Amino acid sequence: MSLLEVENLSLHIGALHALRGVSFSLDAGECRALVGESGCGKSLTAMSLLGLTPPGAVFHADAFTLAGEVLPAQGSPAWRRHRGADIAMIFQNPMTALNPTQTVGAQLAESFVLHRNLGRREAMTAAVALLERLAIPQPAQRAAQYPFEFSGGMLQRVMIAMAVACRPKLLIADEPTTALDVTVQAEVLTLLAELQREQGTALLFITHDLGVVAEIADSVTVMYAGESVESGSVAQIFNRTAHPYSAALRAAVPSLKQDRRPEGIVGSPPDLRREVTGCAFAPRCRQRMAICEDTVPEFQCGEGQRVRCWRWHPDHPLRWREAENG
Amino acid sequence: MLFYIARRLLFAAFTIWFIATATFFAMHAVPGDPLTQEKAMSPAVRAQLEARYGLDKPLDEQYLLFLGNMLRGDFGISFTQENRRVNDIIREHFPISATLGLAAILIALVGGVAAGSVAAHFRNRWPDRAVIFAVIAAISLPGFVIAAMAQLLIVRLNSAVDSTWLPVAGWGGVEHVWIPALVLGLGTMAYLSRLMRASMLEVLSSDYVLAARSRGIGPWRLFWGHQLRNAILPVVTELGPSIAAITTGGFVVELIFAIPGLGRYFVQAVQQLDYTVIMGTTVFYGAFLVIVVMLVDISYGIIDPRIRLTSGRRR
Repeated sequence: MSLLEVENLSLHIGALHALRGVSFSLDAGECRALVGESGCGKSLTAMSLLGLTPPGAVFHADAFTLAGEVLPAQGSPAWRRHRGADIAMIFQNPMTALNPTQTVGAQLAESFVLHRNLGRREAMTAAVALLERLAIPQPAQRAAQYPFEFSGGMLQRVMIAMAVACRPKLLIADEPTTALDVTVQAEVLTLLAELQREQGTALLFITHDLGVVAEIADSVTVMYAGESVESGSVAQIFNRTAHPYSAALRAAVPSLKQDRRPEGIVGSPPDLRREVTGCAFAPRCRQRMAICEDTVPEFQCGEGQRVRCWRWHPDHPLRWREAENG
Repeated sequence: MLFYIARRLLFAAFTIWFIATATFFAMHAVPGDPLTQEKAMSPAVRAQLEARYGLDKPLDEQYLLFLGNMLRGDFGISFTQENRRVNDIIREHFPISATLGLAAILIALVGGVAAGSVAAHFRNRWPDRAVIFAVIAAISLPGFVIAAMAQLLIVRLNSAVDSTWLPVAGWGGVEHVWIPALVLGLGTMAYLSRLMRASMLEVLSSDYVLAARSRGIGPWRLFWGHQLRNAILPVVTELGPSIAAITTGGFVVELIFAIPGLGRYFVQAVQQLDYTVIMGTTVFYGAFLVIVVMLVDISYGIIDPRIRLTSGRRR
């Protein structure tokens, strides 16, 4: 049994069918990357894992459990026990994700007061110790400073400190390096990987940078139009790509080694305010077939690899697959 | 920071000088003088009075005399209230206006911040609509209408419970302060709650509030620790102008509630062209407002660390 089980997650926000079936699982100590283009529902998936979907959104999931325990309904006050304690999140932009009028130490200490029942002074000591663990120089002085006095990379470390403060079982990182300088990105990734190993945390890493995926993740879930279209290990996704969208994503990455131009994906994702029938990627797919008009179930296409594409139906001529994967 | 305060003080002095000069010449440009009365005055008596008050001197000389006296903090003797010094009038009656104004601004600030926060948290639901309705009503209705309605309400209330615990007018104990202060602060409260609603909405949709919620922080802690201080910043900047509005608006409320504040003397002096009282009260109010606005600007830096630290110490 995995630590986190998400099966067929669906979310309606008004007329918008933002999530149309997201399924993945995560083991303790595992790092799963959630990839896909902007607007495909990566961040909303993360928000629903914190119970923070927009008010009025209609939520449904066949399975939605952490360590065997069913997670509360969206917006329920019962979430407060989980947030920051069992499940924590690192936000994309550290410059805006910290309260500008509170010192960094006070914001860090708040988690300890809340989830560890520490007194104000003990919490502050714990906060300073944590900053020190995250290699922030002069942690005591730094704790007394305000966010605007920090550099971007330093602040992202503070954000990470806040997220791991109470040793959560599940850590969600929503594009944690996108807002940072390239030189700082590697540093932050190394730190995340290190903490994950040290605490045995499961890490859900949201990104659209496939280079980062190869570096940090154990497994990958590819999302398209509010749906998980392919899940598998990093090796499977990169070497035995099953879904045409995953393949197209990879082809869109420029390469220094191979002498080829990056290929864009023709067309644009469907409008999720209208009900999508059949495969959402079909209009942009080069391998489209007549059956793609019908709703696609998930098929097993390798050890632990799942794909939502008719080409993996057991009755589909096998040689087609062999030819593509070389 | 010290340099900043010094510069602000210099500007303040210039502003006060400008107010004094403009008022002085505008006042003398009005036809007639303080000695003009319905009853005819014999030329001899008039000449004697003019000499006594220095009105026989050329205008530029009068101006210099006035400036000199003002620098010494002396505004002279009232024309209409015999032998009463303007300084005494201010000293006796300003504390009453100040008490009323302070109570009004406190009510406006607390009420405005509370109403704006509630409206923002319940955006587009009934508490929000109720606040917006009240705000529009309070801004649209002139102060004297609200004052009269408040008095009517007090009379009805008193007769209903058969007591006089809430006085309709007059000045004395704490019970005399609340209703006039509420009436006086109502317009400002409405304005501040609109401001607070807008800035709170912005804070509510900010990343750091979402991040704080993602750490399991409950609604009350979130409000006091993360939302209020950030949302109140624009409200604090508006406090200076608000205090000006309340002080000047105080004249009407003082008149209706029969409160012996400074506002009444201010208005009467203009009607009777009481030169010394006009100058005294105008310069005094001007200086008061200039200093209050300056203090508000300084307090802004205390609430927002970004301003405090960038203007003060350097990293």
